[in-house]
Amino acid sequence: MTPDLSIEIAGMKFNNPILTASGTCGYGEELADVFDLSHIGGIVTKSITVKPREGHPPPRTAETDSGMLNAIGLANVGVDRFIAEKLRFLEKFDTRVIVNVAGSTTQEYVDICSRLADYPRADMVELNFSCPNVQHGMAVATNPSLAENTVKEVTRVFSRPVIAKLSPNVTDITEIARACENGGASALSLINTLVGMAVDIETFRPRLTNNTGGLSGPAIKPVALAMVHKVYKAVRIPLIGIGGISNYRDVVEFFLCGARAVQIGTALFVQPDTPIQIIKDLKNYLSKNKFKNINEIVGQLRIY
Amino acid sequence: MSKIVIETTEVLKKRDLGQNCFHLILGTFSKTKSIKPGQFIHIKTINGGGVFFRRAFSIFDINPKENSIEILFKVFGRGTAELSKAQKGDKINVMGPLGNGFTLPSKKITSIIAGGGIGMPPLYFLAKYMIEKGYNSEKIWFFYGGKTKNELMELSKIKKLGINLVISTDDGSYGFKGFVSQAINDNFDGLNGQNILFACGPLGLLKAIDQMALREKMSGQISLEAPMPCGIGICLGCILPLREGGYTRVCREGPVYKIGEVIL
Repeated sequence: MTPDLSIEIAGMKFNNPILTASGTCGYGEELADVFDLSHIGGIVTKSITVKPREGHPPPRTAETDSGMLNAIGLANVGVDRFIAEKLRFLEKFDTRVIVNVAGSTTQEYVDICSRLADYPRADMVELNFSCPNVQHGMAVATNPSLAENTVKEVTRVFSRPVIAKLSPNVTDITEIARACENGGASALSLINTLVGMAVDIETFRPRLTNNTGGLSGPAIKPVALAMVHKVYKAVRIPLIGIGGISNYRDVVEFFLCGARAVQIGTALFVQPDTPIQIIKDLKNYLSKNKFKNINEIVGQLRIY
Repeated sequence: MSKIVIETTEVLKKRDLGQNCFHLILGTFSKTKSIKPGQFIHIKTINGGGVFFRRAFSIFDINPKENSIEILFKVFGRGTAELSKAQKGDKINVMGPLGNGFTLPSKKITSIIAGGGIGMPPLYFLAKYMIEKGYNSEKIWFFYGGKTKNELMELSKIKKLGINLVISTDDGSYGFKGFVSQAINDNFDGLNGQNILFACGPLGLLKAIDQMALREKMSGQISLEAPMPCGIGICLGCILPLREGGYTRVCREGPVYKIGEVIL
C-alpha cells in the first residue's frame, strides 16, 4: 500500500508536505515549465509588498561553499499585480497557495492581507518576519511584542490560517515563536536565511552590493534542524521546516525534529525538480520502514 | 510535457582545443530538436569544492539524428575548470533548453554576424541554422575576431558554411588586424538600415556594435551573459538594467536582446 503523505495544517489539507519556499519559486510560472505544480503540496510565493519593488542592484546573489548568499531586496510585482495576474495563474493547479507577505509597518502587513482575504485562492498567508535584507524585516523578526501584535492585527482581517516565518538571526528563537503563537499564528515556518558575507580578495569588495546577504542551502541545515527541534518543544502550533533541504533524508530529519511540512528553497536553483524526486523517495522510505502515514514520524527524535 | 527537461547525458566526445578551450558533445538529450540558436543549457559540473550552482553554456551545435548537443568553452573559473576534467563516457546532468534565442530575420536582408572570442559558438549555430532554413549564404556575413590567432576556434567548420567570412585579430597574427567592429567598417560596403546585426562576445565588442547600430540606424540582436545561479528565472540573480527602467532576467527574458534594450 502506498503510504499516505497528506497532512493537515490548521484544518487545511495538503496533498503532501513538500512545499516550495518563498523567494525561490517566484509565483510558480517558471517551475510550471519544469513540472506540474499540482504534484507538490503547496507553493509559497515570493514576498508581496504594497507597492512593486525592483530590489537591490546586481550583484545580488553569490555562490558560497555548500550554499549561497542573496540580497534580492524583496523584488516583487506588488499586491495589485499579484492578485490580477499571478494568483489567477495559480488557480489552475491542485496545490495549496501560501502568499508570503512583507511589510515595512504593521499596517502594511494588515493592508496586504486584507486585500488577499477577498481571494480564497490565497489559502494562507505567511508573514515574512525575517527578511535580513530590509530594515523593518529585521525589526519585527527580533522584537517579540511587535511580532505578536502584527500577527494579531493580521488575523483580524485574514480569517484563513496565518503562518509566521521566523528568523534565525536572534538570541532565542523560542521567544519570538511563543509571541507569534500568542498573537494567533496557526503555524510557524523556520528558518529564514542567516546573515552572511562573501568577499572578493581582488577588488576588496563584498560580493553583494547590499554588502551582506542571507545564507541558504545545505550549509544552514544543521542550524535549521536545531532551531526546529527547539521550537517544537516550546509551542503547540505546527511547524514547517526550512533550511537546506535537498533530498528525502533531509525531509525525514526535519520531521523527526518536529516539522509537519517542509519548504524546499535553494535546492530548486540547482535542481528545480527536487520536490518531485523527494515525494517519490519519501514514499519509498515510509514503505520500507513500514509507516502508513508520514505524520507518524513527526517529533519522533530520540534525544540523548 | 515539460518545456524544460533535466537529463543525465554522457560525454560522447571531448576535444582539447588548446588555450584552455574545450569542445564537448553531450547526448542523448531528448529536447535537442527543439533547441534554437541563442538558447543555452545549464550544466551541473560538480557539487563541492566551492561549486554549488550549475553553469550556463551557449549551444555551439546540435545533432538532431543522435540527439546530441555540442558546447565550446574556455576555462574561466571553478565551474568551467571542473567541466574541463570531464572525460568521454562521463555522466553530465543537463537542464534545458533555456532562454529565448535569436529571432530569425527576413530572408531579404543581409545579416551581419559579429562574434568575439568565446562569444562565437551561438553565432556559428545561428549561421548554420539560417543556411539550413534556406537563407542565401551570400547574404550572411560572419565577422569573427580574437585577441590573437591561437584564440580562434573551429575555423574550418565555420568556413564550411560557405558564407562570407572575415577573420580578425587584435594583434594581426591572422586575418584583418583590428577589432571586429573595425573589420565590419573596413570590409563591408553599404552598412545601412537594410542590414541586421547579431553579436555575442566581450563587452567592448558589444558596445561597439551598439554604437554602430545607433549610428547606421540598424536593428540587431545581442546575446548577453551574467552569472546565472538558477537559469530558469526563479532566483533573480542574473539581472541587468533595462534602458526603459527596471531589470531583466538574462536567463529568462534573454539572453538575446534587441540592441539598445539593455544598458551595457
